[in-house]
Amino acid sequence: MPCSTNNPAKSRYMRRFSLSMLLYVLFLVTAVWVFVHHHPSGPLAWLLAILPALAVIGQIVAFGLYLREEKDEFQVALGVQSMLWGIGGTLSVTVTWGFLENFLQLRHLDLIWIYPIFCALSGIAYGLQQLRYK
Amino acid sequence: MKNRLRVLRAEREWSQADLAERLEVSRQSVNAIETGKFDPSLPLAFKLARLFETSIEAIFIDETADLG
Repeated sequence: MPCSTNNPAKSRYMRRFSLSMLLYVLFLVTAVWVFVHHHPSGPLAWLLAILPALAVIGQIVAFGLYLREEKDEFQVALGVQSMLWGIGGTLSVTVTWGFLENFLQLRHLDLIWIYPIFCALSGIAYGLQQLRYK
Repeated sequence: MKNRLRVLRAEREWSQADLAERLEVSRQSVNAIETGKFDPSLPLAFKLARLFETSIEAIFIDETADLG
C-alpha cells in the first residue's frame, strides 16, 4: 500500500514487496510448468502447490514489517485503516457471493481470489485516504 | 483536535514541509494534525511541544475541558 519511497521504512517495504512478487511469479510459473509436464505427486506436489502461497505470505509479512518499522505514526494509521477497509470489504464481498452461490447457483468463487480482492479493496481504500489527507 | 500549530509555524516562518522535516514525519502527517483530522500520540505531542518550546496544552485545545 505505501507507494512513495521517501523514507527508509517505505524503501525497505518496496524492496521486500518486489522480491515477494518476483518469487510469486517464479514459483507460480515453475509449479504450473512442473504440474503440466511431469504430473508430480506426493510431497513434491504439495511443496510445488504451496510455493506460490509462501510468496504471497511473504507480501503480508513485508507489510507487517513496514507497519512495525514506519516511524511516522500517521502513515501507520493510514496503512492499518486501509487494511481494515480491505478486510471488511473482502468479508462483505465473499460472504455475499457465498450466499449467491448457494441460493442462485452462481459460479463458485475460488479461494485463491480472496487475496487479490483484499489487495484491490485495500489499495482503493489507501488511494481514497491519500485524497482525503492530501 | 483543534490546535495552534499553524500559528506557531507562522511565527517561525516554517512551512509544513519544514516542520515535517524537524519532526521526522511526512508533510501529509503535519497537515493532518494541523487540520485536526489526526490526533498525534503523546510522544509526538511532546516532541511538538519541545520543538516549539512550550507545553502540550499551549498547542492543543481541549474542547471538552469545560464540559465537566
